[in-house]
Amino acid sequence: MGTLFTTVRDTLRYKGREGQWLWVLHRISGLGILFYLILHVYDMSLAYFNVPVHEQMIALFKTPLFSVLELALAVLLIFHAVNGVRVALLDLRPELWAKQQLATRLALIITVVIAAPTIIIMIIYTINAHLGPVATTIAR
Amino acid sequence: MKVHLKIKRFNPEKDKKPYWGEYDIEADESDRVLDALQTVKWTIDGALNFRRSCAHGICGSDAMRINGRNALACKLLIRDAVHNGAITVEPILGLPLIKDLIVDMEPFFAHYRAVMPFLVNNNEPGERERLQSQEQRARYDDGTKCILCACCTTSCPSFWARGEYVGPAAIVQAHRFIFDSRDEGAADRLEVLVEPDGVWRCRTVFNCTEVCPRDIQVTKLIGEVKQALVTGKID
Repeated sequence: MGTLFTTVRDTLRYKGREGQWLWVLHRISGLGILFYLILHVYDMSLAYFNVPVHEQMIALFKTPLFSVLELALAVLLIFHAVNGVRVALLDLRPELWAKQQLATRLALIITVVIAAPTIIIMIIYTINAHLGPVATTIAR
Repeated sequence: MKVHLKIKRFNPEKDKKPYWGEYDIEADESDRVLDALQTVKWTIDGALNFRRSCAHGICGSDAMRINGRNALACKLLIRDAVHNGAITVEPILGLPLIKDLIVDMEPFFAHYRAVMPFLVNNNEPGERERLQSQEQRARYDDGTKCILCACCTTSCPSFWARGEYVGPAAIVQAHRFIFDSRDEGAADRLEVLVEPDGVWRCRTVFNCTEVCPRDIQVTKLIGEVKQALVTGKID
C-alpha cells in the first residue's frame, strides 16, 4: 500500500510528458480490466454454484449504470490493447526510440478510431435494450 | 531580470516536513539556475543547502527538479526555466531527503556498483593495448557519456515505486560494458539485469531519455539490453 501511495504521490509531483501519462492510463485501464475479469469469473462461477444469486447479478448488470460501465470497459480494453502494442514495439525495436512521441499520438488516434464506432454501436444497442423499438427505428 | 525563486526547504533538525522558501532575486537571463541558487545562498540565506561541484555540466552533482522536471541546475538557463517570472526548485524524487535540495545518493550508487561498472577481462593483454575498431568503439559510445547525475533514475516511475529497481543509470553503465568488444563480463551483468529488479521493471515510459543532460538515448540502451536478454546475442 505504501508503494502505491509513493507511486501516485511522486507521479503527481513529477512533470512527465506523454510517456508518463500513457503509462498512468495503461495502469488505470489494466486495473479496470482486472476488476471486470474478477467480477466476470465470480459471476460465471455462480451460474453453477448459486443460480439465484447469479440471476440477481445478471439483473444488476442490465441496469443503466452497468450499461455505462460497459461502455467505459470497451474504451479501456481498446486503449490497453493499442498502447500495449506501442510499448511492445518500442521494446522490441529500440531503434524506434526517436519516434516515441509520434507513437504516443498514433496510439491515442488509433484508440479513438476504433473506440468511436464501437461506442456508437454499443450506445444504440444499449438504448435499444432499455427503451425498446424507438431506438431500433432510429438505428435503422 | 527579476526572478521569483520557490525552493523546497527542509532542515531535519527543525522542520517536521518540507516547506517552500520564496526568494526574489535579480538575475541575467543567460545565467544558469545554479547562479540563482548561489545568489540566494550568498546574499539572502546562507543556510540553503545544495550540491554543486564543477558547475559546468560535467560532475553531475546538481541534479534537481526544476519546474517539476529533472535537470542539472548548472546547465539550465534562467530564460529557459523561468515561467511567469518564477522558477520552482525541488530535490529529486525516489531517494531519501537529507536537507533542502540534498538527497542520499547511496542507494543510487549501490545499484551502479551492482552491475560491475568496470572492464572484466582476465586474459593477459600482453605488451600492448586491447585493440578495438572504430565500429566496435562506436557501439557503446552513447553510454560512456553518462555522468551519474541520477536525473534518469529519479525520473523513473518504476524507481519511485520500488527503490530496489536498478534504474536507468545502472543499466546504461551495464550497457557500456556489455557491448564493449574487450569485455568478457556480459554474462555476469546480464545475470543481475534479468532479475525481477533488473531491466524488466522498465515500462518504456521515456522520462529518462527526456531528462538526460548528456542526451543519452537511455530507453534505447535499456531496450538493447532487453534484446540481449531475449535473444541471447550481443551485437
